Amino acid sequence: MEPIIEVRNLTKIFLSRRAKVTAVDDISFDVNRGEIFGMIGPNGAGKSTTFAMMSTLIKPTSGSIKVSGFDVEKEGDRIRPIIGIVPQQYSLYSDLTARENLELMGNLYDVPKKVMKERIEYYLKLVNLEAQADRFTGRFSGGMKQRLSVVSAVIHDPAIIFWDEPTTGLDPQTRQAIWKLARKFNTEGKTLIFTTHYMEEADKLCDRVAIMNVGKLVALDTPQNLKRASNSASLEDVFIHLTGEEIRD
Amino acid sequence: MNIKSELKKSWIIMIKEFKQIFRKKALMIPLFAFPLIMIIFFGYGMGGTVKNVDILVVNDDTGTASSSLVQEIGSFIPKYGDVKMFSITYTKDMGQSEAERKIDAGLYKAVLIIPQDYSERVAKNESVTLTLLTDSSDTTSSGIIINFMKQLFAGTAGSLVSLKIPDIYGKLEYLDFLTPAVIALTVFFGTVQSTGYAIAGERQDGTIVRIMMTPVSRGAVILGKTLHQLILQLARAVILILGATVILGVTMNGSWLLVALVLIIFTFGAVGLGIAMSAISEDMTSFQQLSLLFTLPSMFATGVFYPLSSVPDWMRWIAYTMPLTFANNAMRTIMVKGQGLAFIANDLIILIFFAIFYFGLGVYLFRREV
Ligand SMILES: Nc1ncnc2c1ncn2[C@@H]1O[C@H](COP(=O)(O)OP(=O)(O)O)[C@@H](O)[C@H]1O
Ligand SMILES: [Mg+2]
Repeated sequence: MEPIIEVRNLTKIFLSRRAKVTAVDDISFDVNRGEIFGMIGPNGAGKSTTFAMMSTLIKPTSGSIKVSGFDVEKEGDRIRPIIGIVPQQYSLYSDLTARENLELMGNLYDVPKKVMKERIEYYLKLVNLEAQADRFTGRFSGGMKQRLSVVSAVIHDPAIIFWDEPTTGLDPQTRQAIWKLARKFNTEGKTLIFTTHYMEEADKLCDRVAIMNVGKLVALDTPQNLKRASNSASLEDVFIHLTGEEIRD
Repeated sequence: MNIKSELKKSWIIMIKEFKQIFRKKALMIPLFAFPLIMIIFFGYGMGGTVKNVDILVVNDDTGTASSSLVQEIGSFIPKYGDVKMFSITYTKDMGQSEAERKIDAGLYKAVLIIPQDYSERVAKNESVTLTLLTDSSDTTSSGIIINFMKQLFAGTAGSLVSLKIPDIYGKLEYLDFLTPAVIALTVFFGTVQSTGYAIAGERQDGTIVRIMMTPVSRGAVILGKTLHQLILQLARAVILILGATVILGVTMNGSWLLVALVLIIFTFGAVGLGIAMSAISEDMTSFQQLSLLFTLPSMFATGVFYPLSSVPDWMRWIAYTMPLTFANNAMRTIMVKGQGLAFIANDLIILIFFAIFYFGLGVYLFRREV
C-alpha cells in the first residue's frame, strides 16, 4: 500500500507563558492513499496539534511530515491546494450566507467560476442546505454549520481531507449524514483522516485507527486487529485499556 | 505565485470585508455620525490660554518708542500664569507676504510689523498703524494674541496707534481648527479598531484558519484588508469633510488630493498597528483593551482639541511620540492654511516612517501559524 502521508518522529512542544507542553511526543506513522484513517484519544492527547502540523498550519518542533511527497515545512504551498480541512471549530463567517461562504473558499482556491457554481449547487443539495443557501450562517444550528463546514473544505476537490471532530456534539441524524459523506468522499478516491470521540464511529468507518494518549501514539491498526489483540468486544474497551480510566479535560 | 493572482486574492478578501462591514448596520452610526457629533460638541464648548508663543517682530524703526513697546510685549506674564506669554524673535526689513510665509511654515504664531516711522509719529502725536498677522489656523492662540495686542494698544500709546489685522486664511473659528484633526483621529481610531477587531474575531471563530489553509499568501490577506480600509476611510473622510463644510460651515481651503495622500499614508500605518495588536492579543476582548490603551491617549495628548503650542514641554514631547500629532498637523496645514506639499513634507516623512514601521510589524506578526 502506498503512503500518502508519512509522519516521522514528530514532536511539538508549546512554550506558553510558564509551562512547556509536549503536545505531540515523537510519533511516527503512515496514512495510506485512499483509506479512512481515524485518530482517537482523550482530550489533550495531541490530535488537533498533529492535524495542524499535517495541514501546514503549525510547524513541528522536530521530526518530519511528507504529504503526497511534499515536505510540510518547505513545500506548504504545494500541499495546501490538495488538502481540505474541517477545523474543530465550525469556522464559518457568520455574516456571510452559506453560499457566500462556499464562494469565498472556491475563489480563494481558484476554482473556475462555472465549475464552482455547479459544485456549490451540488454540495448544498448533498448536505440538504439548498433552502438555506442564502441565509447568514450566524443563525444556523450546530448541525447545519457542521454540514456546511464539511463541504466548505471540499469545494476545491482535494485529494486529502482532514476532519477534526466532525461529529462531536451533533444529533444522530447529522452524524449519520456526515458518515455518509465520509464514505462518499472515500469512494471518490479521497483519503480521509478524522478524529473522533465516538468509538463506534471509528469502528464502523475507519480502515485503520490510531490511538493517541498524552502526545504518544499508543496503538495503530485496523479496528478488528485492535479488538483482537486486547481481547475486547468493542473499540471502547481497547481505548480504555490503552489510555486508562482517569478522566481528563 | 504571480502578482496577478496575488492581487486577485487581495480583491476577494477586500470584497469579503466590505460585505461584512456593510451588514453591520449598527456600525454605520459610529462610523459616520460620531465624528460629526464630536466636532459639534467640542467645537462649541472649548477655549484656552497660551504660553511661550513664538512671535516674530519686524521692527524697521530705530526709535525708543518701538523698543519699549517690544520690551513690554516680551516681558508680559499673564495674570494667572508664571511663564511669559511670548517668545520673541526680532528681524527687520521683511514684507507682509514673506511674513505670511513664515506663519504658513508654522515658524511663528504671529508676526507684528512695526513701521519705520513708528517712534517718530508717536513722538509727534500722529496716528500710526501696526500690522498684526496671526496664524488663524490655530484659532485659540490667534484669538488670545489679538486680544492681548488690542488691549496693549488701547492702554499705552493712546488711541493714535491702531492695529491692522489681516485675515490671512479667511475668517476662522475653533471649528476650523478642530475639524481636520477630528478627521485624522477618526481615521486612526476607525482603522485600528476595525482592522484589529476583525482579525481578532476571525482568530476567535477560526475562520482565519480556513483562509490560511487556502493557497493565499499572508501578503494577499493583508493587502485585501488594507485596500478595504483605504477605501472605507477615504470615503469616510470625504463624507465627514463635506458634512462639516456644508452643515457647520467649516473651512476647506486646500487640496483634496493632499488630504487623500496624508490619509492613505496614515491609514497604512494604522492598519499595521491594528494587525500587530490583534496578533499579540488572544481574543476580541483583550484586543479591545489593548487597542484602547494605545489609541485613547493620542486622542487627548496630540492636540486634537487644543494647540500644542500652548501645552507644557513634557506634554509636547509625549505628543511628538504619537503619529496622530503629525497627521493632525498635516491635515490642518492643508485644510485650513490651504498649503501645498512643501509645507507638510516634514509631517509626511514622519508619517511614512510610522507607516513602514507598523505595517512591517503587522506583516511580521501576522503569521500563518494561528
Ligand atoms: N497553541 C497552543 N499553545 C499551548 N498549548 C497548546 C496549544 N495548542 C494545544 N496545546 C496543548 O497541547 C495539548 C494537546 O492539545 P490538542 O492537540 O488540542 O489535543 P486534542 O485535540 O487531542 O484534544 C493540550 O495539552 C493543549 O493544552
Ligand atoms: Mg482537538
